[in-house]
Amino acid sequence: MFERYWLFAAFCFIAVVILVRLVLRERVTLQASLSLLLLLGLMSFVALFPNVASRLAQTMGFTLASNFFFAAGIGALMLLHVHSLVTLSRVELRSITLTQELAILREKLDQLSEKS
Amino acid sequence: MEPAFPWQARSGLPYLILATTMFLTRDRCGILRAVRVLLVIPALNEEAVIGSVVEELKQAIESGAITGEILVIDDGSKDRTAEIAHKAGARVARMSRNLGIGGAVQCGIRVALREGFDGAIQVDGDGQHPPSEIAKLLEVGAREPASDLVIGTRYLSSDGFRSTFLRRLGGWWLSRLLRVVAGASVSDPTSGFRLYGKRALELFDRNYPYDYPEPEAVAIAMAAGLRVTETPVVMRDRQAGRSSIIGYRTIYYMLKVTLAVMLAYVRNRKR
Repeated sequence: MFERYWLFAAFCFIAVVILVRLVLRERVTLQASLSLLLLLGLMSFVALFPNVASRLAQTMGFTLASNFFFAAGIGALMLLHVHSLVTLSRVELRSITLTQELAILREKLDQLSEKS
Repeated sequence: MEPAFPWQARSGLPYLILATTMFLTRDRCGILRAVRVLLVIPALNEEAVIGSVVEELKQAIESGAITGEILVIDDGSKDRTAEIAHKAGARVARMSRNLGIGGAVQCGIRVALREGFDGAIQVDGDGQHPPSEIAKLLEVGAREPASDLVIGTRYLSSDGFRSTFLRRLGGWWLSRLLRVVAGASVSDPTSGFRLYGKRALELFDRNYPYDYPEPEAVAIAMAAGLRVTETPVVMRDRQAGRSSIIGYRTIYYMLKVTLAVMLAYVRNRKR
């Protein structure tokens, strides 16, 4: 019989609540936080049903379920990090383009106001 | 009776000879004057020298040596760079934040392309590039076959300011790298004294590197099949300020640019 990790599940739940509050306050977008919410949901599931994770670990050749848990966690965090990098780079490029466009428009405006 | 002038001949040959002679001995200066270029000056906190740079270029335009306009890109300066440049007679595009030299140059390229200029010339805002040398870039740009990107190099001329040994070593490494990776024959890949032709404007409007862009821009141009040439120019020491590539940034610069050149060529090459 597997014991359930209530404390860890509660921690994950609190993290989900914080994230949802941030989404509601429009501090982060739902689109950007969806992958983290999914990860937290999976971690909560594993905390409440560790036998599933244990079977999966055995199937994948891990001697200890904890090793599998850490490996999966590191892998998931790396994926999240790459996702954040892509998002950040996209935003940076858009910001550069917008700054350039703004400078060009301001220059045009200066020219027009000088002519009039 | 022999005709006195070619147009009196019945044969078309004299016309052909005349046309060829006119082409070969054409007034280069006249042709260069017909090329309308945007002089793009990226500047960051250059209040001490930007006024004289703009005035020098303005004199070159007024004397008829260059046909074009001057655009200073104020890259988020904290001083009076924009104000002084405007007073000196330049158009000024003010960035609301600092983008780095790549972002500033691309902004100028975008203006040149949208306003139908024949090309753009990048001139440093620190007074390193004498306006008298612009004619050399234009002349090489006008030569057949036309070049899309002409780089003014300080290493092919024995005159003028020479940078430090370490900088020349870095330049040598990047030059070798560009030769091996992109097949470019450029002796001064870090030079910011450049003429961009129409095709280069179109390419760099879409894709111009932001961080330490000069060598990477050469790789992008070569990968896109553009013709890149160089011409010896005399440069001066910077009139004010100092280089941003000092100390530990030198190591970052070399590592980043080396990797960027390789990736830029692979990413942009024609398939």
